[in-house]
Amino acid sequence: MGPMENIRISLSESGHDRDISEIRVDGVIDTMTATELEEVFDTLLRRNRYRIVVDLAGVDYISSAGWGIFISHIKDVRSSQGDIKLSGMVADVHEIFELLEFDRILKVYASVDEAIGDFGPGPGSQGEKKKDRDTAPDRR
Amino acid sequence: MFRRPIKEISAEFQAEERHLDGIQRVVRDACGSAGMARKDISAVLLAIEEGATNIIRHAYLYEPGILRVRIVIYKKLITFSLIDRGRSFRPEGHGQLNLERLVESGRRGGLGFYMIQKIMDSVEYISSEGQNELRMSRHLGERGKGGAAPLLRRMFTLRFKFSLWTAIIVSIIIGGAFYFINDRTEDEIYSHLDGTAGALGMTIAEQAGLYMLNHRSDVEFDELVLSYSNSNPMLVQIVLVDSAGLTVAHSDDIHFIRKLYSPPPTIDSTLVGVPQRWLHNQSQVNYLILPILAGERRLGTVHLTYSSALINEKLVSAREGILKLTILLVAVGVIGIYLLSNYFVKPIVNITRRVRRFTSGDLDSELPLEGADEFYEISHALNQMMTRLRRERETAVERERMAKEIEVASQIQKTLLPGKLPRFPGLEVEAFYRAASMIGGDLYDVFPINGHRCGMVVADVSGKGVPASLVMSMLRTVIQIFSRDAVSARTTLQSVNEYLSLNMPPGMFITVLMAIYDSRRRVVNFVSAGHNPLLLYTAATRKVSKINPAGMPLGMPDMSADDVARPMTLEEVHVPLQDGDVFIAYTDGITEAHDRNGEQYGLDRLIEFVESHVNGSEALNLTRLSHDLVTEIDTFVGATGQRDDMTFVIGRATPRNDESAPEGAPDRSAVDTTTVPTEESDPDSAS
Repeated sequence: MGPMENIRISLSESGHDRDISEIRVDGVIDTMTATELEEVFDTLLRRNRYRIVVDLAGVDYISSAGWGIFISHIKDVRSSQGDIKLSGMVADVHEIFELLEFDRILKVYASVDEAIGDFGPGPGSQGEKKKDRDTAPDRR
Repeated sequence: MFRRPIKEISAEFQAEERHLDGIQRVVRDACGSAGMARKDISAVLLAIEEGATNIIRHAYLYEPGILRVRIVIYKKLITFSLIDRGRSFRPEGHGQLNLERLVESGRRGGLGFYMIQKIMDSVEYISSEGQNELRMSRHLGERGKGGAAPLLRRMFTLRFKFSLWTAIIVSIIIGGAFYFINDRTEDEIYSHLDGTAGALGMTIAEQAGLYMLNHRSDVEFDELVLSYSNSNPMLVQIVLVDSAGLTVAHSDDIHFIRKLYSPPPTIDSTLVGVPQRWLHNQSQVNYLILPILAGERRLGTVHLTYSSALINEKLVSAREGILKLTILLVAVGVIGIYLLSNYFVKPIVNITRRVRRFTSGDLDSELPLEGADEFYEISHALNQMMTRLRRERETAVERERMAKEIEVASQIQKTLLPGKLPRFPGLEVEAFYRAASMIGGDLYDVFPINGHRCGMVVADVSGKGVPASLVMSMLRTVIQIFSRDAVSARTTLQSVNEYLSLNMPPGMFITVLMAIYDSRRRVVNFVSAGHNPLLLYTAATRKVSKINPAGMPLGMPDMSADDVARPMTLEEVHVPLQDGDVFIAYTDGITEAHDRNGEQYGLDRLIEFVESHVNGSEALNLTRLSHDLVTEIDTFVGATGQRDDMTFVIGRATPRNDESAPEGAPDRSAVDTTTVPTEESDPDSAS
């Protein structure tokens, strides 16, 4: 099991204005593979794409390094009117998600469409400030 | 607190990320064999991966190292230890971490430890003797929140056990008492019954005796027995028998009169005056035979049958009363014990809870001190222990910080020493330096001054540690700068001293031996500021001579000094060199190195060493010589170990390849000693 074969990441654009980035991950997000996902996040954030849906339906295990990516970026993403939404978690992964109480920070959805739908109308191609009620940092 | 382990698993891995898989496999198998649920296993794996990654990244900094995994399975607990011998790094954020704050800070280190804490029931980081252990444990089976519930559960069983055992003991005591009292009561009641019957019988016998003496009629006898049997419900039957054995009166039936009386079969009619028991109509009755006497003469006997039914009733009610009382006593006792156990166990629960907090790193909260019993003692002792631990931890942190600073200082100091010694025509130089502690107070330097001159310095700063090393680094710079314009070693040190006297902490001083080698003239000129004598091996004579020019250490207050600053007095020695001549400058760490008995290596041994090792041959290898000298001193010192910094510089005159007829090559017939005593004759000292 070489580390590189343990993960497959694909990136696509969805939503009205194609402003939602959909990251589909398959495999295992562990210490070694997490760097790949990290790179994808870095790329997106560098391109100011802050509306992110991560499809975890094909992920069996997320290590601390993996959770670290979501948790460490969420503040910046939300302060840029975006969000990181997780979808399709398998039972095992969801158990840990709840155990670690990340449900206080991150929102999870049953499917990618649901997650995309929850983003609401995008800020549009010209202005970034129009809509910020739905995307305001969700802190409880 | 916990039972003996059921199973122990140990494994060693190279601390590399590619072995994380292997580590996790060991942990997964262990968890599986402990019967842990699948979802719990993946949580544990996450914690292990985080812990192991930290060791690889932060303890070993990706350098090679060993990561030991030790898993111990108990009946209700499993502990995972990750052990390394790398840098000790306390996980970030001791105590409970706040998720929101972590998100706010965006720090990942803290997040990792947060996850470990969430997953495990207890986490400890133990660092001692170069070994670090991250010990995480988790309860098996139903998981209690934060370990508090199992703790309470344990306490409840403790209390329950205590109550149960005391209740059993109390019941046995009260039950025994009940049995004893019951037995006594029965005996008492019977003897009372027999006593009453006996008294009645005596009265009847007395009256019957009178009747018999007066030869009363049958009817009168019959009335006598009837009146007694009717007025005494306990009397079942009264029979009067005369001395011939014939029935005189019978309370049941008059037809027995004048007939021969036969007592019931189990009754022994010879036993007079002794109560006997027999069964009559399935109930126990009592039988008493008493004599009818007229003085000494026996007229007949009274046969009394009396029932214990009435008395039995009394007995039963008495017994019931006792039983009720017993049950009440036992119940009150058990409840009292339970409540009491609460009272006794509560301090234990409190102490245990606090101790738990202590073990999870909270050393700050103190146990309340109440009462003056053993719990007070325990609490007090624990508080003291915590205070000591806290102090220990603080000093450990401080020590660690100091050690790190010293390491940095020592590294900086090393960079201050010349890396590669410069080469000069006709002179080969070798130097050695070894600090006794991390930061030394010795210095050597070999540096070019200009194309044909180079300077050499060996110095020793009084004191040690950071202050000494700071002065050292200043000294090196100052010497290099001042030597550039100076005409000789003497003027250099004079300027250096002038500078240092203004910039050095009071009470500190430096001994310096400085030499300037002139490759054109092939002359070395030496000055010594209170330093150990220089050893010069002359190839021609194969002898070592000591050269010890007079001079006070730098930074020493000049006694003769008044308000006017004047240059220090230094003697200067000029030594012309011939091929094969060797000189050695050293610090007292060499000559004063001492063995177990306190005997010093000494100058004589050093001279002997030089004479025997430097034989003037061309083949002499300075590196080898330096190495041999170090070995000799190390051997001499033996297990005592190095106590002071050891420094020396060896120079040797070699044939110059560019032998271009040195102009004014000095006459090497003798060592030329020039003494330049005071400022008056010194043109350099204008100040």
